[in-house]
Amino acid sequence: SGELYCSLPNPRNVHFESINMKNVLHWSAPEGTGDGVLYRVKYAVYGVGKWIRKPECRNINRTWCDLSRETSDYEEQYYASVKAFLNGTCSDWMETTRFNPLTDTKIDPPMVRVSSTDKSISIILTAPEKWKRSPEEVSVSLLQVYPGLQYNISVLKKKTKKRWFFSISNNTLVVPWLEPGTAYCVSAQIHVTTPLLDSDFSKEHCIATLKDK
Amino acid sequence: KIFHLGACRVSMSMAEIRAGFTAIKANIQSRDPIRTLSILSHPHSLHKVKVERCCITHHLFTFYVDKVFKHCKTEDSFVNRKISSIANSFLSVRRKLGQCHEQNNCVCGEESTEKFKQILANYEGLNVTTAAMKSLGELDILLDWMDKS
Repeated sequence: SGELYCSLPNPRNVHFESINMKNVLHWSAPEGTGDGVLYRVKYAVYGVGKWIRKPECRNINRTWCDLSRETSDYEEQYYASVKAFLNGTCSDWMETTRFNPLTDTKIDPPMVRVSSTDKSISIILTAPEKWKRSPEEVSVSLLQVYPGLQYNISVLKKKTKKRWFFSISNNTLVVPWLEPGTAYCVSAQIHVTTPLLDSDFSKEHCIATLKDK
Repeated sequence: KIFHLGACRVSMSMAEIRAGFTAIKANIQSRDPIRTLSILSHPHSLHKVKVERCCITHHLFTFYVDKVFKHCKTEDSFVNRKISSIANSFLSVRRKLGQCHEQNNCVCGEESTEKFKQILANYEGLNVTTAAMKSLGELDILLDWMDKS
């Protein structure tokens, strides 16, 4: 169909929201438009000469579109764009800024597992996996994506509220010389120095050291 | 961060350069309206070409020092300060890479030479200011590629 005369207000705040490289396009409805607005989405690989329509996001009424599959190559950068339609008229195409999955994603905290002896706590951390198309697809740890990935670990002695911080590159830590029969709480964060990316701290995992034999 | 580029070892304040670029990325990239062409990634992504890392890094740092930073003046003093800070970092790395080059530790093979010729052709296909601003907006492509080693 030929291009309509587009007098509809534009979709607003068109942007990617990305967690562990699950890259979802979000936007806000055009100002002053009630229900009934439909949207179309297209995307482009930066430096490649064509825009590609996303069929699953054609004439949708929601204000998001999952483009994870289309932006899964994190060695490329992308643009995406949204157009609104209502009662036979339309808006302009509204674009994102340039999206770099490698630097613009947010990383989840690591998974934390703890065990204890009478005088020590062992902590095993697992970095989250990169988003994948299907469960059958081979998992890629973010550790492979970010070679400089490190872990910051906080250990809190509940009784005295004394807290220690550790920074490690491998994924295991043993904290020695602890008090037997005492509760400790562990929380961990992922830290990538370059590009600079920090996850939130994980929720606390509390465990008690065994009582003295 | 120490980069091992073949026989060449170069230390570089990557986090500082990254922080400087991140602070001006949206501003610089918004000045580049051309979505369909890339200086570094056209026709093939830097990541996908088998090149000698020292050679390409040396060529690209020379490219940015000689052909990019000096043509990227803006009306925004904050942006200009960030650009000159990045440029100074590039200048010192380029000097170290030059020493490696002189000691024949930074050899260029055919693919590297070809890739760099393509980058120059992409650059010269646009007017200087447009090409320089686009190249600056692609700095993260170079930094991402360097970080991957």
